[in-house]
Amino acid sequence: MSVLTPADFERIQYHQKTQNISRPSLSYWSDAWIRLKGNKRTLFSLYLIVGLLAFTILGPVFWNVDPAFQDLDQVSQAPGTSRLAIIVNDYEAWNGESDISIDALRLVDRATTMAVRLKWDTLPNASGYRVYRNIFPVGPEQAYGIPLVEYFDNTVLFFEDRLDLKPRRYYYSVVPMDDRGNLLDGYQSIAVDPIRVTTLDEARSKGLLTNESTLQAGDSINLSLHPLGTDYLGRDMLARLMEGARVSLFIGIGAPSLFILFGIFYGSVAGFIGGRVDQILMRFADFVVALPFLLFMILFKIAFGIGPGESGIFPMLVALVVLMWPATARLVRGQILQIREHGYIGASQLLGAKTNYLIFRHMLPNTLGVVLVTITFAIPSAIFIEAFLSFVGMGVAPPTPSWGSMSNEGIKNMLTSPHELILPAILISVTVLAFNLLGDGLRDALDARLRNQE
Amino acid sequence: MDKRSNYAGSAAKQLGVYAVYLAVAMALIVYILAFFAGTSGALINGGAINEERNSITIALAEEPPQLDSTRATDASSFIVIAHTMEGLISYDDNDQLTPGVAERWEIRDNGATFWIREEARWSDGLPVTAHDFEYAWKRVVDPATAGEYAFILYPIKNAEAVNRGDLPKEALGVRAVSDLVLQVDFERPTPYFDKLVAFNTYYPVREDFFVSTNGRYGADADMLLFNGPYVLTEWIHGASMLWEKNPYYWNDEKGFLDEIVIAYITNDVNANLNLFKDGQIVQTSLTAPMLPTAMEQRWQIDRFMDGSLFFLEFNHREGRVTENLNFRKALLLAQDPSELVYKVLKEASYLPAESLFPVWIQGLQGAFRKEYPVPEHRMDLERAREHLERAKLELGINDFPPIVLLTGDSSLSLLAAEYYQELFKKNLGLELRIDAQIFKQRLAKMTSGDFDIVMAGWGPDYFDALTFGDLFSSWNLNNRGRYQSEQMDDLIRIAQSELDPKKRMDAFSSIQDLIYEDVVIVPMYERGISFVVDPRLKGFKRRSVGPQVDYNYAYIERL
Repeated sequence: MSVLTPADFERIQYHQKTQNISRPSLSYWSDAWIRLKGNKRTLFSLYLIVGLLAFTILGPVFWNVDPAFQDLDQVSQAPGTSRLAIIVNDYEAWNGESDISIDALRLVDRATTMAVRLKWDTLPNASGYRVYRNIFPVGPEQAYGIPLVEYFDNTVLFFEDRLDLKPRRYYYSVVPMDDRGNLLDGYQSIAVDPIRVTTLDEARSKGLLTNESTLQAGDSINLSLHPLGTDYLGRDMLARLMEGARVSLFIGIGAPSLFILFGIFYGSVAGFIGGRVDQILMRFADFVVALPFLLFMILFKIAFGIGPGESGIFPMLVALVVLMWPATARLVRGQILQIREHGYIGASQLLGAKTNYLIFRHMLPNTLGVVLVTITFAIPSAIFIEAFLSFVGMGVAPPTPSWGSMSNEGIKNMLTSPHELILPAILISVTVLAFNLLGDGLRDALDARLRNQE
Repeated sequence: MDKRSNYAGSAAKQLGVYAVYLAVAMALIVYILAFFAGTSGALINGGAINEERNSITIALAEEPPQLDSTRATDASSFIVIAHTMEGLISYDDNDQLTPGVAERWEIRDNGATFWIREEARWSDGLPVTAHDFEYAWKRVVDPATAGEYAFILYPIKNAEAVNRGDLPKEALGVRAVSDLVLQVDFERPTPYFDKLVAFNTYYPVREDFFVSTNGRYGADADMLLFNGPYVLTEWIHGASMLWEKNPYYWNDEKGFLDEIVIAYITNDVNANLNLFKDGQIVQTSLTAPMLPTAMEQRWQIDRFMDGSLFFLEFNHREGRVTENLNFRKALLLAQDPSELVYKVLKEASYLPAESLFPVWIQGLQGAFRKEYPVPEHRMDLERAREHLERAKLELGINDFPPIVLLTGDSSLSLLAAEYYQELFKKNLGLELRIDAQIFKQRLAKMTSGDFDIVMAGWGPDYFDALTFGDLFSSWNLNNRGRYQSEQMDDLIRIAQSELDPKKRMDAFSSIQDLIYEDVVIVPMYERGISFVVDPRLKGFKRRSVGPQVDYNYAYIERL
């Protein structure tokens, strides 16, 4: 047995320099970021989301138009329609008087989008007349078009059309009727091309004219600009899409962040404590999963005293938060249960780590990958729920738009003005797709098992 | 590498084969299912018009809740009843009164007598008698029946008292003198009683049959007895109906078809349009967005005014801002119905409304509105704002609370509601809240007074100005805004019982003026409907009074 001397406890000098082979240390996050950057699809979706946020937040700064303003001169206008209009005097009622001699169906005055005035001469055998308007020539089928008026009186020989006139070609026909309203042969037809007009008052009320403006009747003027066209009440689509995005993204981002925060808390408590508490907490989560969403949405609406014509967005948010958290909670709880049994947790505990330290340093960061992925998938589903509920009329109250309610309105005029449906539908699809792609990319990037495989 | 791509290629090929199999299998399943779906319906229809069977196929908007004529209140029931039943008097194909079950009649100041034709038969072959009418009418006013249309019998002596339960139903002033003579006593002179008896609620019910159904009268095809041109032989609830020619019907100028098949019960206008396009139904209505399609198809579009009027009705109950006359005047002056119709609703058959009385109401000689023109209305924002300021002073408030606009859930009423919301905000700075409700809920809210303004409509029940004129009497339950004015009540009493037509029309004119001055309502539009009919079907009628669609005079034109 040798005897130890103090000299034995001398620090040994480093005398041999070994070659140092290493790469810069990569944290979990920087590794994930590198892989995310490498994925073009994900990067693209990220740009899309940034673009959408800019559209929502910055858009109204650049395009400062009241989304509720109704421009009734430009109703259901497709994007890129001509805006040139002639200024005319205010509308005056017409009693059928005119200076021109009438031998057949004739146009009186100039045809404008404000009014088309027609006169005709007595037709043989007629006890009355019916006036039609068509967008096609009458043709041999004698399909006269839309009946606009009928007179059971053969002395009324004039008609003024003011119904939804567009600057396009119309074919007007006047058809004689017998005394019981049956149509007779011998119609007369005329083609009319109304020009787009507006009045000084209208132009002034829309801010198209300054007070000093010297424009007067007969001059031409450009009507208000609507880059993406207008909807069925002449409201600016671009402004409405921006305002609608606010509602959609508020629900889409607000609700998932809230319920995921709660889910993380709930799940980690259940997972960390485990045992009977875990059992009780998770059975309660199962119970919440079984609750019907729509029913609760309605109940909350009533419970919050949301009266008729008030926005249902807040109860929607509450219903989403109250009912959607269990999925996240389950996921986090599973992760925590798994992590709890890992060796490094035991080691950390043996080294004297406190519970707080364990949770915040070791457990939560390891669940974050899963959580981030759930968020990106929860956002599109929340946007969809909002769109659906507004579509069925449970969401926003008019005149506030949301993409869902805009689609609902647009579908009614789908055949005549498709842009009213297509534009919000595209935005919903693009947003949902972008968040889904991002979630997909994040899942790949954050999966630690895929690390270092490339 | 080579091998791998080969492997991938064959795998893709295999998958492609599977895909083809799957597509074929799915097509087969779809075909088989479609085949069985086709056979399960009891009424297979051969297109809109079947010349061989002399039959047509139509669609009905709603399923009638039941078909007891004494209790029916909805348009669908009216349509079925108008084809399967007949009253004492009916309308011909030119909307003129024509003898029905009654051969002739006489209307006096204090009563009326109807002589019933001998050849009128029930669908089981037994004759229709005066007793059937007496029984039916007593049933209508019996409080136990709870008929919503009981008020339409009030001109008959004691009807109101019986309906309230103050008198036994035997006290009703109607009596079958013999099998063929019906005697009616009036509560007050009712010169328009002939128009009233053409209405559904006045149709007959046979006592012995009614008793034998054990309270299920009207619930099913075999729980009904008919006396009209057609009989309902099959009624599959929620799916279809079959009307067949009534062999016992007396009038050979009505009921030319052997069969009318109601193969579809849907109120989806687009579905109806597609059915018509495919040649499955003979007639369909067209809304504004469908008109370009209709023009493209080169259909011969027809139209008719359905007679009803739509208006903004104010809540005149105490405590509402709408009770204030200046407030109502401000709203009236800040809107223009022609802008609503021509630029917002864009329905070709709608007419901007100006008065409580639609244009078709008859006056002394010609149209009422020509003889008694309405005060001319012009939008005037300056005056509107003046009235609004005055209203603020009178109410002692600085700002108006949000106004609740109650409306229906159809796309047109929502469109109009959104238009008004922005219009009154822009022109008067008022905030409107839109309360869109389904029909039943809207009716409940209207009845309980849970609104400030309601978008309401009123369709005529009979061909007389009074069907609109008495709407705002203090005792009319359909006066949902509870407008009350002694002047109005006095005028309506004159209109109800005055025998001199001139004085009566003057009273209606005063009612028209009072409605405008007191701004009881803001007229919106008179409704019309654009529609298309299969060109082979002739004699089809749409009516403003009575059934909306009428096939009683319809026949197939053979080429």
